[in-house]
Amino acid sequence: MPKIEVYEDALYSYVGKRYNDEQLEDMLTVAKAELDGKDEAAGQLKIELNDTNRPDLWSTAGIGRQLRQYNEEKIPEYNFFSTPQVSKDYGERVVKIDPSVKDVRPYEIALAATGKKIDEATLKDIIQTQEKLCWNFGRKRRSIAIGVFRSDLLTYPITYRAADPDATKFIPLQMEGELSLREITKKHPKGHEYGHIVADFDRYPYLEDAKGEALSFPPVINSAYTGAVQVGDENIFIEMTGTELRDLILTANIVACDLADAGFTILPVKIEYPFDTEFGREIVSPFYFQEPMTIDLEHARSMLGVPFSLKETATALTRMGISAETDESRQQVTVTVPPYRNDFLHPVDVIEDIMIGHGMSRFEPQMPSDFTVGRLTEAEEFARKVRDIMIGMGFQEMMYNYLGSGKDFIEKMEISGDDSIRIANPMTENYEYVRSSILPNLLNSEAVSAHAVYPHHIFETGKTAFLEPSDNSGTVTRNTLGFLSADGEVTFNEVSAHVSAVFYYLSKEYQLQELDDPRFIKGRSAKILYKGEYAGMFGEVHPQVLENWGVQVPCTCCEIDLDTIIRE
Amino acid sequence: MDVDVKSLHPLEVKTLRHVKPGEEITTKRLVDELSFKIGQCNQAFSWLAGKGFVDEARRVQTVVYELTELGKSYAEQGTPEERMLELLTQSGPLTMQELTGKLGLENRDTGSAYGQLSKEGVLSMDDEKRVSAVGEASARMKAVRRVLDKAAGQGEIEHQALDDAEQKAIEKISKKRGASGVPFKLSDREEIVYTLSEAGAAARDELFKKGVTGEEIGELTSEMLSTGSWKGKSFREYNIKTPPNRVLLGRRNPYGEYLHWVKDKLTSLGFEEFDGPLVETEFWNGDALFMPQFHSARDIHDVYYIDKPSHAREIEQPYLDQVAAAHENGWQTGSRGWGYTFDRDFTRRQILRSQGTVLSAKQLPEAKVPGKYFGVARCFRYDQVDATHGADFYQTEGIVLGEDVNLRTLLGLLKMFAEEIAGAEDVKYVPGYFPFTEPSIEVHIKHPELGWFELGGSGIFRPEVSKAMGVDVPVLAWGLGIDRMALMHLGLNDLRELFSPNIENVRLRRNQ
Repeated sequence: MPKIEVYEDALYSYVGKRYNDEQLEDMLTVAKAELDGKDEAAGQLKIELNDTNRPDLWSTAGIGRQLRQYNEEKIPEYNFFSTPQVSKDYGERVVKIDPSVKDVRPYEIALAATGKKIDEATLKDIIQTQEKLCWNFGRKRRSIAIGVFRSDLLTYPITYRAADPDATKFIPLQMEGELSLREITKKHPKGHEYGHIVADFDRYPYLEDAKGEALSFPPVINSAYTGAVQVGDENIFIEMTGTELRDLILTANIVACDLADAGFTILPVKIEYPFDTEFGREIVSPFYFQEPMTIDLEHARSMLGVPFSLKETATALTRMGISAETDESRQQVTVTVPPYRNDFLHPVDVIEDIMIGHGMSRFEPQMPSDFTVGRLTEAEEFARKVRDIMIGMGFQEMMYNYLGSGKDFIEKMEISGDDSIRIANPMTENYEYVRSSILPNLLNSEAVSAHAVYPHHIFETGKTAFLEPSDNSGTVTRNTLGFLSADGEVTFNEVSAHVSAVFYYLSKEYQLQELDDPRFIKGRSAKILYKGEYAGMFGEVHPQVLENWGVQVPCTCCEIDLDTIIRE
Repeated sequence: MDVDVKSLHPLEVKTLRHVKPGEEITTKRLVDELSFKIGQCNQAFSWLAGKGFVDEARRVQTVVYELTELGKSYAEQGTPEERMLELLTQSGPLTMQELTGKLGLENRDTGSAYGQLSKEGVLSMDDEKRVSAVGEASARMKAVRRVLDKAAGQGEIEHQALDDAEQKAIEKISKKRGASGVPFKLSDREEIVYTLSEAGAAARDELFKKGVTGEEIGELTSEMLSTGSWKGKSFREYNIKTPPNRVLLGRRNPYGEYLHWVKDKLTSLGFEEFDGPLVETEFWNGDALFMPQFHSARDIHDVYYIDKPSHAREIEQPYLDQVAAAHENGWQTGSRGWGYTFDRDFTRRQILRSQGTVLSAKQLPEAKVPGKYFGVARCFRYDQVDATHGADFYQTEGIVLGEDVNLRTLLGLLKMFAEEIAGAEDVKYVPGYFPFTEPSIEVHIKHPELGWFELGGSGIFRPEVSKAMGVDVPVLAWGLGIDRMALMHLGLNDLRELFSPNIENVRLRRNQ
């Protein structure tokens, strides 16, 4: 979830009024945002945005716009949007897409802005918005990468093509000399970070103007000449490349509305594709592509539990910045989706905005009235009986993490680990395996508890999981009991007595068979059979295993598969 | 001075009562006058000195003869000389051969005994080499016998306690080292002579005042009960403030106890428990919850992938087709879908369950209407382990299905949880975001001790989730963050402690 930093003054100038912190926190809930911190000296606020489908809120202008609408119940007009039917005047501003990018990074969208000198705060906000959109919405530049340029230095038309990575060279930002595209992926810090996105292609994405002046090597780095926007610049060109056309158009729309709110004039740009896109071969950006959505009033009423009128519903939507037309005869509302939003997949998405527009205080909590019977799972009921018996025998219940290392779960236990579930992407080797048995956890307890007064009697009922080819998942999760006794004189006879008591008080019968298992001393360990099926094991822990764990006190252990013995 | 005489042992009581202030107290006195064993004397002195009730007056060097094993047998069965004299007196003359055999002695023992006794005129040998008794036991023999008898009681005798004849007799049959062949071991000792201290004198007065004699019954035995020997006697009073021993008991884990309580609470509110395997598929962990396969919403839960088998063999139908269609074009849910091509390989990818909502989704196809369900599910996230992130942790989640459930009943449910489970003083609802619910609500509560915090997230399942699972009624979905309250209950502030392997920590842990 993105966090952004905003200048307090800038935010309140967008909102049109000032709040104290408490009021702001309340108001931010409208944008599903939270005040995360404040830097009094810098006059900055930290705000966390929770809705990953609302990238329009990830900027000072975006949050400001949402709060202002909520207060003023007025929807801003943006007149620079082209539609599938009507294109705005793009002048000479044209980007030509070369067929070569189709299989590399097929889409590009752009816009230009003018009419205002960029100040420090605006520049910082533009850079931050660009970063948040690329990182959180653009999947770390994989699906969206944005570049901002000084348009005074550019000559239209601009070309977006796939270029030879070795023959194509320019001076990238943060560097002194020319580098080829391939060198950038190897030598430039941004190349290390983002080069992998295009590394597998023969040719790399490249933007240049009509005179052959480089703009950028998307999604990696801009030119140090055309792409170094500074405070005081008045004319900027913004472009974005990526893999999802709708996301790119939406991103351009968000940036356009933000700049317009900041006082810039937005200048449309035409993008010419040599191949078909879902919006044709020519797109004039910013481009309004959203479809209206119609909601039955009854649907909203039954979901929200309050019989609002059509008019109230439309007002609530207006506060969210959504213009709504009401249809009395059909009892419906039809909404026009704002150009900077694309999160209305289903009428329920609009209903949530109706809810927020009304304010949570309008909804009185009501107890669910349906009668239902509560109950625990059979396995939990059974485990509770088992726990009672273990506690009655003087055992302390332990609870353990289910993840651990191969060293603990396999090596120290002297087992092959053939049926262990391994994690393919462990964060550290300390958490690389899912436990297939509780015994290593119990022995680990013993290893770290030599100072604790003896005797030690500990147990856990919990889950174990291991490979099981017959299952659809190739694995199985079992409810398991494990217990351990450690003292100067623990014996096979004692652990056998404990096993016997567990089965007696569960009213279950069991048989024993001799066990040959490296974890136990041979001849002093047994396999438990329930109705002829393997149900567990117990015995005196092998001194080699104790030595592996650094345990200096003799131990007995038992493990019982509760899912097996629960069966009648 | 306030003297606590209850904690005194009967040996201490008897000693204190017996000796007057100013008198010397020695082992000999206690043995002679109170019939203590030597060991009991030592105990009494050590305890009394420890309490400051006796002071050391002076030290005395003494020589002590301890009975050896051989000495003990002499004392009980007679010395070889005594036995020889007795045998000969009864049976008449016998050869040395016969004597040795009948007495079960070694040749040299019979030899030296005869030598000594013939010198003293007790025995003589005739021409046929037969030995016969010709006189009474000698004075020396009698002295040896007296010494043996005196030493038999305590196992030792002091040099001073012997007369001249006895001292002369014992000198010959005792050794300092290598004494196993003789009846006495000679040792030099330093004995401490005590006197009552001021505190001891005060304690003595207290004993007389309270009438404590040291003859009171200590431990009541079953023998006393069966014989009735306790009758008419008084019982020794114990110091009830003596710190007791530690009990190592069998016990629930306090965190487990808390989860147990939460489960009981939820069942009492009409919720039925569900559960499931630790290994899940991307399908159930994300796709069924309408999280687009390649969207940043998927990053909310960075997951652990299973190495082998990397993919489940198949995903249950018709849910796979319905979910895939819901993602692609909305299927019959009224949604336009995410508009991308659903990846049917990716959906089979196996992972460790990262959110409890998986179980809610899996419950949907078999859920009753109306129905309330919950689960306390172990989940796994790709996070650095620290005080606020565990490698694995429990999530408490659930669903409510019903024809008439709506936002207001959702708020009512949250209010009930806030009050019943968290003991909240105040409740606040704010719009939230979860990929699988719309609308989504976060519930913040004012806890009496923790102040305001987010208790949980909730919402109404998106139709793309519930309809694709064959459910046509609204489904309230909720999750509670109970670990924070669990930590507070246990007086902890580190999540890792909930799964501590340390036996002593867990044993001592209790609810605050």
